[in-house]
Amino acid sequence: MHAQTKTSTALGAVAVALAALAVVFFFNFGARPVHLHPIALVDTNFLDTATVRRSYADLARAGEDLSDFDCYACHEKGKPPPLRFDTSQNLIIPKEHADIVMGHGSHGRNNNCFNCHNETNLELLQTRDGHEIKFSDSPALCGSCHGPTYRDWEAGAHGRTSGYWDRSVGAAQRKACVNCHNPHSPKFPGRQPAPGPHPLHALAMASAGTGSNSATVSTGWGETPGEPGYRGNLRPWLAGTLAPPTP
Amino acid sequence: MPARQPQFNPGPAAPAAAVSRRGFLRTSAVVTAGLAALAASLKPLLEMNDFPTLERFMQKYYKELTPEEMERVLKRIETEVERQYGIRPHVRDLKPRDGVEFVYCLNLTRCIGCRKCVHACVAENNQSRNPEIQYIRVLRLPHGSLDIEKAEHNYAPDLVPEKGYFYMPVQCQQCKNPPCVKVCPVHATWQEADGITVIDYDWCIGCRYCEAACPYWARRFNFTKPSIPRERLNPDMAYLGNRPRRQGVMEKCHFCIQRTRAGRYPACLEVCPTGARKFGNILDPNSEVSYILKNKRVFIQLKEELGTSPRFFYYFDV
Repeated sequence: MHAQTKTSTALGAVAVALAALAVVFFFNFGARPVHLHPIALVDTNFLDTATVRRSYADLARAGEDLSDFDCYACHEKGKPPPLRFDTSQNLIIPKEHADIVMGHGSHGRNNNCFNCHNETNLELLQTRDGHEIKFSDSPALCGSCHGPTYRDWEAGAHGRTSGYWDRSVGAAQRKACVNCHNPHSPKFPGRQPAPGPHPLHALAMASAGTGSNSATVSTGWGETPGEPGYRGNLRPWLAGTLAPPTP
Repeated sequence: MPARQPQFNPGPAAPAAAVSRRGFLRTSAVVTAGLAALAASLKPLLEMNDFPTLERFMQKYYKELTPEEMERVLKRIETEVERQYGIRPHVRDLKPRDGVEFVYCLNLTRCIGCRKCVHACVAENNQSRNPEIQYIRVLRLPHGSLDIEKAEHNYAPDLVPEKGYFYMPVQCQQCKNPPCVKVCPVHATWQEADGITVIDYDWCIGCRYCEAACPYWARRFNFTKPSIPRERLNPDMAYLGNRPRRQGVMEKCHFCIQRTRAGRYPACLEVCPTGARKFGNILDPNSEVSYILKNKRVFIQLKEELGTSPRFFYYFDV
């Protein structure tokens, strides 16, 4: 073959290849489409900065209905209400106060209304050593038993604070004990968690979408039992304590 | 044997006759096809709608900007955001203050793993909603262990906290000795005087070295153009903080610089329902964080053996 023919064949082939590439590039052949999973915006309830409960002081400040604290609408002044207990020494909650769940302290030992409420004036609270305390000052009552926690709360290490860390610029709002704890059953209640990171995988989304009660959402990487590709817990194998799993 | 005539390098002997008509056509066909292929491969550039303006392209390094230049830059950002979202933001450049060093304390006894902080952070800091970028990752760990290998972040029970587990939110630890800053080839990320490690999003080249260097998995990369719904845009912005980012730059927690340098608490702290998060100035002996570090059982700086010396402390009650 002449050198000239060789050169022209080679150049022709290069030209055709480049032209083919141009077409491929231009029409984007063989490219995987960029596919974004739709991700729902988070419920704005999860962005709410309000406290779990509202204290007497909050209600009073907002000028709201305080009739729940108007004890002498039903009770009689100067006549302490009688307490009734069942055979296992649990307080029997009268039906007028059916919303109260007694759960303060372990083993039901803190079962007497007048451990905290003032017997002679129901619109006041009282400590075990007899100091009368207003509803709006309730943290002092809590602190009369929960000393270390009260000390932390006073220093700002326990409980919620909001506003300004720099007190020279603005005020910080401290929240009271009862903004988070129900005084009758103070354990902080469980709540629904906000959605976790989006797994970006069809299988994982399917199991997340069904609202299953399982404690974890499958990641779709074959890590969770029952998933295709699951090869058992690889960690003991990696640690050398087990033979490798057979697929 | 006849002498071969060279095609393209005729040499000094035959200067004019070397380019034949055929040779010229052949060569031009190859060159044209090559240029067409090159042009077609550059087509995605046409779809780039976030092409930098000359002003942004020529912008100087953050630390070299004079106050007047900074003023113009902030105006430019406000205009850009307004054009894109239809909302005129308030963009500030807040400087660190003397005698302030920020420290974060998180009470592991109180955290219930509700992830409210994650989403409050996203809302405050204008993070991309899709693809999802989140600065805080809440890890669930079994009781009695601090082995991060056993951590799980995809937990989805009906109610938290779950029995037998505790929760540990992890975000940028604002290290005193930050590995991410050391690896940045263009000094687009640095540690400020108040302890916050910041990123100049206009200087970042997106090499992701810092992401690789961070032992806390705290840095996030904008692989695509971030998408923020207009109605969820936070218009209170800072240059080194929550102004909208571009595709191809890094971002991470900056202790809500637009809030904390204005004296306010960060958004994750404000939203925490249990008060597990504490923030303040460690140089102020009367601050909450000083009290905690002095009096509480402060257990770790996460991965303290790495010598990063985080400004983020985990502590316990009791």
